[in-house]
Amino acid sequence: MSDRAVQDDVIRALADAPYRASAAWRRRALAEPERVERFARFLARHFYYERIVHFFKYSRALARVTGRRPEAVLRQPGFDALLPAVVLGSRETARAVCRLVVDHVRSGDPAVPYQDDLLRYEEAMMVVEAGPRVWRDTGSGEGGSGMGAAPELVAGTVLLQLDYDLPLVLAGLLQSWTSPPEAPRQRTTVLVARSRHGRVAVARADGVVASVVQLADGTRTLDDLARAAGLRPGELEATLQGLTEIGAVRFSTGS
Amino acid sequence: MAPLMVGAFYNPHLGAELAATTGIDHLAMADPPAPQDPHWPAIKARYTLLLHDYLGQLSEPLDERAIQRARSLAALYDTPWVAEHFQCLHTEDGTYNLNYVFPPLYTEEFLTRFVANANALQARLDQPLVMENIPGFFDVQASQMPEPVWLRRFFEATGTGFLLDLPHVWLEAHYRAIAPQSWLAEFPLEHVVELHVAGVEEDGDLRGPWIAPTGPSDEMLAFMAHAVAKCPRAKAVTFDAFSPSLTAEVLVGSVERIRSAL
Repeated sequence: MSDRAVQDDVIRALADAPYRASAAWRRRALAEPERVERFARFLARHFYYERIVHFFKYSRALARVTGRRPEAVLRQPGFDALLPAVVLGSRETARAVCRLVVDHVRSGDPAVPYQDDLLRYEEAMMVVEAGPRVWRDTGSGEGGSGMGAAPELVAGTVLLQLDYDLPLVLAGLLQSWTSPPEAPRQRTTVLVARSRHGRVAVARADGVVASVVQLADGTRTLDDLARAAGLRPGELEATLQGLTEIGAVRFSTGS
Repeated sequence: MAPLMVGAFYNPHLGAELAATTGIDHLAMADPPAPQDPHWPAIKARYTLLLHDYLGQLSEPLDERAIQRARSLAALYDTPWVAEHFQCLHTEDGTYNLNYVFPPLYTEEFLTRFVANANALQARLDQPLVMENIPGFFDVQASQMPEPVWLRRFFEATGTGFLLDLPHVWLEAHYRAIAPQSWLAEFPLEHVVELHVAGVEEDGDLRGPWIAPTGPSDEMLAFMAHAVAKCPRAKAVTFDAFSPSLTAEVLVGSVERIRSAL
């Protein structure tokens, strides 16, 4: 086993609580178990602090009205109870942490009528961000644009239906205000996606985008997709280019 | 020895205060400026900026995208040097990521990897590369040599500069139950270009001290003065705190106290 592989094993033990508890890891006796456990718990709180502060920043800005800072959950028993199952960066753990945050913020004073939409939006961002990512391009041709092949929705991409036009107020929430900005009550759809390198992007989704996202299953060719979505080839190509850039769609390269 | 620059990290939530305050010579940039940051133009015009972002872990070669990003940020900041860390925090396949600095095994294999990849990065930069030491909370049995020996061999093989993080040395000494000055004496201080100073606080998970966004203690400042005297090539001391919970009072006050202690 190379030293790099040993390092990977240590990193996995710190990130993956069930693995850390396994006989396979303990048998290796690479480090003092109690020290590893303490450091792993420290890392877990740090990992989710950074994500909660970033993805729930709008709820954080509303905390002086709600009385609920999202990151407070990290010092509550609910988070401690999660620790034996935490896998840093996994979608399951992201969902579990988001549930704690959403319940905590909802238990405060409702600051704005669009609070439920806001929490769903923030949760979607944090869950979409989770999952393995490409840290380093190896030049093996992954993710080429390959516009001739069958487009496929990238796993984890979310179409979110909102009751309020949330994108209109997000920037305002982060500026100084005496009363929180109001959002028009208007059905709005946004697409939340993540690039291969882990960058989360949000875009308004009109009917064209929504139908392409729903139809892009990796089996339909561009012609099939254009017919099914009722789009001209130019329209479809422009839509797919935008969706590819934000990481929502990729092109299947298999035979 | 030329006068040391004394500075801090750019914390965007303190942008207004940092744009107006005096007594800070430089700001280290842990993240690129946000496109909507209203204080960025004033910050860029006013300060010497040090590139201190995550560029990549040098256990693997940086890819072209990461190198271009480093070059672009270095040009944006007009940084006098580019900093990276002795870290290996995600698995090679990208499945697991600690999102926190974590040291490599101190082995021959990792030394070879870091030397080759640092040399390759340095060759693509227009500024000198400096590398920061990272503390271990526990020893891994697979390591083959003490960290200071590994670091000395790295600096001798690459000619890169040393960004000496003093609280990291202090913490390692604490958890090894040895005097910080004795542990520090093992490190290759003749290569130091920049020093980091920070506060530490008790952490409930670690059941002991760790880096925190708080001011340095008097003991840490005395340790800094002791260290600076042994670093003949040092050019800058940076208050190393970057957190949404950091206040302007702590940041500005810490820089003042560092300057007074030097």
